[in-house]
Amino acid sequence: MAATLTDGSPRFAHQSEAELARILDFYGVAWQYEPDIFPLSWNAEGAVTESFAPDFYLPEVDLYLELTTLKQSLVRKKNRKLRWLRQLYPDVRVKLFYARDFRALMVKYGRLDFLADVTAMNGNGPLDDRASASA
Amino acid sequence: MTGPAPVPEPIVSPDVEEVLLTHEQITARVGELGAQLAADYDDRSPVLVSVLKGSIIFLADLVRAMDIPLAIDLMEVSSYGAATESSGQVRILKDLSGSIEDRHVIVVEDIIDTGLTLNYLLRYLEDRGPASIRVCCLLDKPARRLASIEIDYRGFTIPDRFVIGYGLDYDERYRNLPYIGVLRPSVYTPAAE
Repeated sequence: MAATLTDGSPRFAHQSEAELARILDFYGVAWQYEPDIFPLSWNAEGAVTESFAPDFYLPEVDLYLELTTLKQSLVRKKNRKLRWLRQLYPDVRVKLFYARDFRALMVKYGRLDFLADVTAMNGNGPLDDRASASA
Repeated sequence: MTGPAPVPEPIVSPDVEEVLLTHEQITARVGELGAQLAADYDDRSPVLVSVLKGSIIFLADLVRAMDIPLAIDLMEVSSYGAATESSGQVRILKDLSGSIEDRHVIVVEDIIDTGLTLNYLLRYLEDRGPASIRVCCLLDKPARRLASIEIDYRGFTIPDRFVIGYGLDYDERYRNLPYIGVLRPSVYTPAAE
């Protein structure tokens, strides 16, 4: 489960995640932040050695969303995990939200200022305005 | 009178990277959609509800391709980008002019990408007690979908690119282009090129 702040809202790892949560809240779409962890590999003793926790779950559409960072090496790693997840859990619907997808969303909503900030900080800037969980 | 005036060549904006759908393609498809809707709603006098501002050109052409009794109504809702400093939720900026209770409603949209606005709107309209609600969109961009939307009438499925024209804008520009074009990325991200 995701870490939370003292008010119970999720501690987002990236500003882009907090922004997406605000967008979903704005349009009244229910979401959960990192509600599930999917084991991907196990050692000989059966202990989980690798897992995948998608960033968001949208219960109304039964869809997990994973936002990628701007680092290409991490994108490759997530793509690999996603392939595993789809093999091991074929009924689970996961959508990878690439940096270009997030950028398009910001352009659509005229949030180029936010995009410039988050790009400059590689998505890891301080979070001074957190969205609250709606589900 | 010496006959019809010559049809001017469509303006190709220098900001358009590529024409995705020509005026002729749009006109033909809108005619087909109108004929299909007219056949399906022959004796039901539907209300076509459209969302300002992007859908008005599509709506205007669509209703003229429907040779049946119908009504139109318009709504306007706040969008996320314009409202982040004020309200944390969608606001209805312009509500329906008339009642849709027990009426057959067709929601007419220019484009469905994330589906977030339409998802909100459909829930809002359902609460008004219509006899039925169906969705008609000119452009469907499924790659961006974040909400569950059932599209009953679809003009074109398009790739995941930023499109303008035929009512669609970027920063309130390009709505008057008679075709659907792909906006050059340098227009909205100067450092991209």
